[in-house]
Amino acid sequence: MLLVLSDEHKEHLGFLPEVDSAVVGEFGRIAVEFLRKGSNPKIYEGAARKLNVTAEIVQHGVEGLMYLLSESSKLMISEVDFQDSVLVLGFSEELNKLLLQLYLENRKEIRLILSELAPSMPHYHNLEWRLDAQLASRALRQQVKPVLNLKLQLDDNGTRRTHLLQTDPATLLHLIQELERALAEVKTNHCRRILRNIK
Amino acid sequence: MELSEFVQEGLQYLADSGYFNDKAFAVMIEVAFRSLLLSSSDDTVLDNNELKHIEQTVVKHCHSAVTTCILECVKQNADRSTICTCLEDIRFDPERIDTFCSLYQKHKKDLENVLSSIGRGLPHINDASWRLEYQIKNSHLHKVNQPSYLITLSTENSGSRSAEEVNFSCNMEQLQVRALRLSWKEASPATNVLHDNKITFIYFF
Repeated sequence: MLLVLSDEHKEHLGFLPEVDSAVVGEFGRIAVEFLRKGSNPKIYEGAARKLNVTAEIVQHGVEGLMYLLSESSKLMISEVDFQDSVLVLGFSEELNKLLLQLYLENRKEIRLILSELAPSMPHYHNLEWRLDAQLASRALRQQVKPVLNLKLQLDDNGTRRTHLLQTDPATLLHLIQELERALAEVKTNHCRRILRNIK
Repeated sequence: MELSEFVQEGLQYLADSGYFNDKAFAVMIEVAFRSLLLSSSDDTVLDNNELKHIEQTVVKHCHSAVTTCILECVKQNADRSTICTCLEDIRFDPERIDTFCSLYQKHKKDLENVLSSIGRGLPHINDASWRLEYQIKNSHLHKVNQPSYLITLSTENSGSRSAEEVNFSCNMEQLQVRALRLSWKEASPATNVLHDNKITFIYFF
């Protein structure tokens, strides 16, 4: 699958062949850093001064690189497809190789960052348990009632929520059986076929 | 076992053959136990034919006194001698004490279950539902290709009787119910020990 680059995008990236490959490498590093932590406009000023161009040109170059890397990672395009997509920019062999390397080295991390943007449910983080015996309550003295206290920690878009829950041994057994049934389901032929064929 | 003045007065009526003859007494005790054990019953204490000849306020007072007394006995896990002493102080006949005690023995376990279900606690899980899905892509990322589970735990809070759900997603590794299975391994023998040693526990404390 080829990446289709807009004219504006091509124009922004057009700055790259005019500088050293070392500088392109540096821009690549900055682009990945910005994808990780967000952009920092001051960097553009410094680089623009050194290269004797306007900050805007530097910004476009870096942003163009960011978009190229993030789109390629999102679609998980193959090496060949990436090279073919970049070919249309008319860069030198050396520059193309540099861009490809940049893509391959950082694609996993960029995909991880993108996955955090996806809509998500509260996600399991941790489960702790404690077995207690209830001995008495206001309504009834002299009991011996086993109670299982659970601390379920969930992550919801960065915030951690803790649920304190309890259950009894009979229900616990039922829960375990039900969840084991759920686990077994992914090993059935039907699921295996889907997992194998949708790639 | 301490009973309030109101309860003692109500029981004194019951002890008095002038108010309650033997038949009426037996009926009253039966009705009292039944009203505690059944969540809804068709006949109320005031509609009962055997008790119609007695003044209604006395009937109501006695009914509430007996039910309070029964619950207090169950709550404290009172033994026969404690109950006998208590009822003797209120001048119950030996036959009437017997009637009360045999019904008490008969229904004690069920009443204990009712009482143990009352109380505050953490939300109690009573069921789990699950859904297995295969994530193909989303607006930010294509070719995700990961199976994931959506689990819903149904909980019930005895305080407010409301049912709440805890929803969360997890992957296969996290669902490896290691944590739960481990706690079951611990809970299962411990529960057996608890049941076997119920008597020991009680005396220990």
